[in-house]
Amino acid sequence: MSLPSKAFQRWLHGVAPGVSTSDVCRISGLKRTTLAQQMVRGKVAESSLVRISRALDVNPVSALASFDAYADLRGTPVAPTDAELISQIATMDLLRAVIARNDPGAPQRFGLASAPHETSVRNWVEAIDDGELRHRVSHATGIAPQNFSAHLTANRMPPELAVATAREAGVGLAGGLIASGLVSEEEAGWPLGARRAALDRLGTGDLVTLAGERLQALGKSLHRQEHERNRTERIWENLG
Amino acid sequence: MTALLPWLTLFVCIAMTAVRIPSAIRGQNRAMFFLFALLSVDILLSIREPYLAVDAALGGFNLANLLLRFMLYGTFLLLGVKTAAAFGSSAGMRAIRGPAGMAVLLLVAVLTAWIFFAMETSGSTAGLSGLPQTASLESYAALGRFYPGYVAACLLPGIWQAVRGSGPALLRLASGTLFLGFCLLLLSQGFPLVPESASWLRPAINYSAALASALGLGGIWLSKSLARRTARG
Repeated sequence: MSLPSKAFQRWLHGVAPGVSTSDVCRISGLKRTTLAQQMVRGKVAESSLVRISRALDVNPVSALASFDAYADLRGTPVAPTDAELISQIATMDLLRAVIARNDPGAPQRFGLASAPHETSVRNWVEAIDDGELRHRVSHATGIAPQNFSAHLTANRMPPELAVATAREAGVGLAGGLIASGLVSEEEAGWPLGARRAALDRLGTGDLVTLAGERLQALGKSLHRQEHERNRTERIWENLG
Repeated sequence: MTALLPWLTLFVCIAMTAVRIPSAIRGQNRAMFFLFALLSVDILLSIREPYLAVDAALGGFNLANLLLRFMLYGTFLLLGVKTAAAFGSSAGMRAIRGPAGMAVLLLVAVLTAWIFFAMETSGSTAGLSGLPQTASLESYAALGRFYPGYVAACLLPGIWQAVRGSGPALLRLASGTLFLGFCLLLLSQGFPLVPESASWLRPAINYSAALASALGLGGIWLSKSLARRTARG
């Protein structure tokens, strides 16, 4: 789930010959000890690579693509589907859109918060899932279904799994990297304003239904959090 | 190691009592202060030197041991009630403070006292280890292990839920430590099966159970203090 040190060093030498590791850390704001530790273990985190490539003005997705494990990312990016684009719109922005459609007096042009949002990973997977996706991903990568679900709940996804999931769903491979917050929409080649355009194309009925589903999920998760907080408070109150 | 463990446990319990003094003065959760004070006295009385001193004052026929038993029952009643309330275990609460729990405690207490006074107990000896190993002594010791084990069994499911939940990491770790302490109390029910060659295991398990429980409760206190501090900024 990470990049081999040797290949990383080769890549670094290729894009920034003569730049020392400490210089790289200084300009990227990465802690030196963190990178050194990752290099010694032979596993450089994808997030480190992304930060370094941004600092060196290299596209992070192309940087990832230069590693064998991410070779599939090479070539022109596949355009995202409307469902994917909308999955990366925050729930509160969807609600703003609902209000804007139904109340002409409400603000009509509001900026969409950039991806990722609080449930972007789960929403992305739901947007590309044909019903059999989790099964195929678990078959292809060997990840246990409950671990896959745990990633969705925690709103994170290791980059390799994100790419594998996109591959099994037959969509553009970088979508999951956006949803998990590793790279931005622009970096992954999503056209500027694509999410807004997809939102404008969405019928009001579908929009309201989708917003309703998101609200339902939000309510559930808030209930869970409140329950957990109450439990913690009760322990502290009695034993703390 | 086995010689150090009782003193380490005592030190931890006294430290826990001390950190609770300020909040006890403010009137917050005094029960926990008393619980730790009681636990400290329990541990102190279970160590040889203090035991002999106290028992000498009580007449030298091991009355201090009976006193220790009753204090332990009190400690576990208090600990059980607070822990059941904390971990939201209503079944556990009923089993400890309800009619069944009170009946168990009463029965254990009466039997403990009855067996003690029926036994020949002269000659001060910590843990009654110097007395002849009779069936009465065995049952007396078993009763002393039974009530803490009963309370622990009532509490384990509730604590396990908190360990598996998604609360703060330190709180879960502390709950896990408390869970471990209670598991050791359950394990201590099997003491008669421990061979004589491994008799050091018994005090090791007893004090580890006390230590783990005290550390677990301390960790819960710490996680609360840290969370309050962060919240205040």
